[in-house]
Amino acid sequence: MADVRDIMELEQPATPEITRESIIGSDKLKKRTFTTTKVSRRPEGMHREVFALLYNDNKDAPALFPSDTSNGYKQTKIKLGMRKPRKWEWIPFTNPARTDGAVFYHWRRPSDGPKEYPFAKFNKKIEVPTYTDAIYQQHLQSEDWTKEETDHLMDLAQRFDLRFIIMSDRYDTEKFSKRSVEDLKDRYHKVCGTLAKISGEKKVYHYDADHERRRKEQLKRLYDRTPEQIEEEQSLLNELKKIEARKKERERKTQDLQKLISQADNQGDSLRKSDKKLPKKKLANPARPSRVDTSHILQAVETAGIKFPDYKNSGVSLRSQRMKLPANVGQKKSKGIEQMLQEMELELNPTPTEEICLNFNELRSDMVLHMELKAALATCEFELQSLRHQYEALNPGKSLAIPPQLLSSTTEQDGTKLIGNAEIIDVVGSPGTPSGSGT
Amino acid sequence: MSQQGMLYGGDEIGALVFDPGHHSLRVGYAQEDTPKAEIPAVVGVAPDDSQKMEPEVKVEGSNITQSPSAWKYYIDTTYLHTPRPNMELHSYMKDGMIENWDLFEKVLDYSYEKIIQSESEYHPVLFSESPWNQRQKREKLTELMFEKYKVPAFFLVKNAALAAFANGRSTALVIDSGAIHTSAVPVLDGYVISNAVVKAPLGGDYLILRSREMLESLGVDLTPTPLIANKEIVRDKEKPKYTKKNLSFNPANSWMVYMVKKTVQDFQHSVLQVSETPYDERIAAGVPTVHYEFPTGYHQDFGPERFKLAEGLFDHAMLGAGYLAATSAGMCDVDVRPALYSSVVLTGGNSLVQGFSERLSKDLSSRTPGSMRLKMIAANGTVERRFGAWVGGSILASIGTFQQMWISMQEYQESGKAQIDRKCP
Repeated sequence: MADVRDIMELEQPATPEITRESIIGSDKLKKRTFTTTKVSRRPEGMHREVFALLYNDNKDAPALFPSDTSNGYKQTKIKLGMRKPRKWEWIPFTNPARTDGAVFYHWRRPSDGPKEYPFAKFNKKIEVPTYTDAIYQQHLQSEDWTKEETDHLMDLAQRFDLRFIIMSDRYDTEKFSKRSVEDLKDRYHKVCGTLAKISGEKKVYHYDADHERRRKEQLKRLYDRTPEQIEEEQSLLNELKKIEARKKERERKTQDLQKLISQADNQGDSLRKSDKKLPKKKLANPARPSRVDTSHILQAVETAGIKFPDYKNSGVSLRSQRMKLPANVGQKKSKGIEQMLQEMELELNPTPTEEICLNFNELRSDMVLHMELKAALATCEFELQSLRHQYEALNPGKSLAIPPQLLSSTTEQDGTKLIGNAEIIDVVGSPGTPSGSGT
Repeated sequence: MSQQGMLYGGDEIGALVFDPGHHSLRVGYAQEDTPKAEIPAVVGVAPDDSQKMEPEVKVEGSNITQSPSAWKYYIDTTYLHTPRPNMELHSYMKDGMIENWDLFEKVLDYSYEKIIQSESEYHPVLFSESPWNQRQKREKLTELMFEKYKVPAFFLVKNAALAAFANGRSTALVIDSGAIHTSAVPVLDGYVISNAVVKAPLGGDYLILRSREMLESLGVDLTPTPLIANKEIVRDKEKPKYTKKNLSFNPANSWMVYMVKKTVQDFQHSVLQVSETPYDERIAAGVPTVHYEFPTGYHQDFGPERFKLAEGLFDHAMLGAGYLAATSAGMCDVDVRPALYSSVVLTGGNSLVQGFSERLSKDLSSRTPGSMRLKMIAANGTVERRFGAWVGGSILASIGTFQQMWISMQEYQESGKAQIDRKCP
């Protein structure tokens, strides 16, 4: 504490902290005067820590070697007999919470003086409304409750502080028939409500016993489920979740395909042939069993081409900057681009004239799109194969004839494959497109 | 600072706490953490020889043999365990309730004289009782305490509620495994739900009985310690070599039964263990054996028997502790079930059988509804577990707010013993 005060540059408190002396009471006054006179001001500009080192209370140089001779536990021995201990006595007391004025004894300091028993204030009693015979006859008559039983109920309510579960447990079943907790609550609240109405209270609470019964029945059924039932429910919930996730997936897939198509459309004429493949694939989708997860295909197709950042707003820059691949192009893609450029025997870093820059970027963007489409194709084909195997496994003896145009030989070289694709798509039928005009 | 003594809500008024059970009666001052004494719940009764000497001649003619003054009562372990001629042992408890009031009075006399060593009229008394105690017995006890012992105040609490208090709960499902039975008692806000109390006659005595049967079938000599003068070291499973004490009389049958029971009880305490899963011969065979030496010097290893015997507490479909607890909770209102399941209090000396609490929590969790949170509270200490109800009574009787609950002498004189049912629910 003292250190904090020091840092905050607060004055030392007038009363020193609790020390042994202050508790035991020996030479208290002497000590206080000693400490207050000792404090000297820290010179301006001197660090607190340094000051504390140099001018601590007793102006002792800090010990180099830890020595603990006098201020250890030895000296904390209490000097007894400095003051007389206060007496404890076995004193009689009465408890105002009791009605009989019984006298008990407990240990207390006589110096504390006679006081009201401190625990009496915790004696809280519940207010249970009362009624006279006349009021009962006039207002509280009930078909299935006699006055006697109602009295018993009110008595129990008072005794058990409205713990209705205990009340129904202790209900006098010899005299009266067994009643449920809801019956008791219903009657009690009706009586209370009626009495409140008579006394002119406007707000009267109602107790809906039927609702309570239904709630409890429901709760009981919830608890009484067998582990199998709980498991079944859980698995059904999981299935539902799966179905919903699949539905969402499909929606996303169609959206992505739509996006890809529109993007490919914008890429220019050269790619129009591959467009034809995509709508076709989309058509084929719903026919496939929905069990097959197609999300991996979509992930491959999700992005198309490279988005080169615009340099319009920036100040002076090298034009070659514009040819730099953006950071979000992965290493795999950039490697692919490099490879393709080498196959085409193009320079990796052509001279960045305005035109070359533009075309080079466009070319590379197309390359990426091409790679993505190829990957999508490969996955589709893989799936087709696996479906065929599934089909054959489920219908032994039969074999699924896949139209040859759907097959593209994956063994072909990259360069020729693209042409192959174009041809296939052509065969599928897009009369408007001339073949072979492509890449 | 003036109310320093009341800092924790405690106010000690020198009350005594009595917790009668089938195994023993626990006696002590409230606010202490352990009872002052644990007195066995059996009393030795033998003809008083010192008085018999003179009247013997006279009695002959008058034909009175059962004059009460001619009987001597032996109470507490030291007196009981000594063989005496014609000393018969009687238990004053039956079915968790006090049955033989004369013997019980003797034990109370003994406790005041030898253990409390103070006058009964200075100390309010808190008694525990079983949850199924009868009204007439409660009134009888009230009458006894006020009329004979002149206690300034008296109170009676169900031991299950006290055990819950001892574990810091006012709402709990108390599973009390004692000497003669295991019971599951739901306690709500300190009140026992008496219609949902479930009990089974499987307790420590049942285990002792089974162990004795097993040991007798093995041919183990169960001569108790007080009858053995000396013994020799023998090898494992070898016939014991010991000499019996030279007694001029034959101890009574009930005494022998009691002492054999004590012998087997020690065996049961040190050897028996409840397996965590239902008993399986192969698993039990894999567990290390326990060595035990009988008072006669005979000793051997016990392997699978340990589990097989203890399994008796759980293998009943209807009487196992887990089943009791689940049934009891099932009889309560649905609204309180979660509260009960979330504090299942385990108490009673028999719950100290090794592995009892683990097995119970396993059994219970398989019966608990899936969505319910189950928490078992079992005090770790032997004392807290054995004297759970007593400790709870000790706490209750020394709480400041409790001091208004006592039935005082004045109230008793005004309204008589019948008010016990109203005042001590």
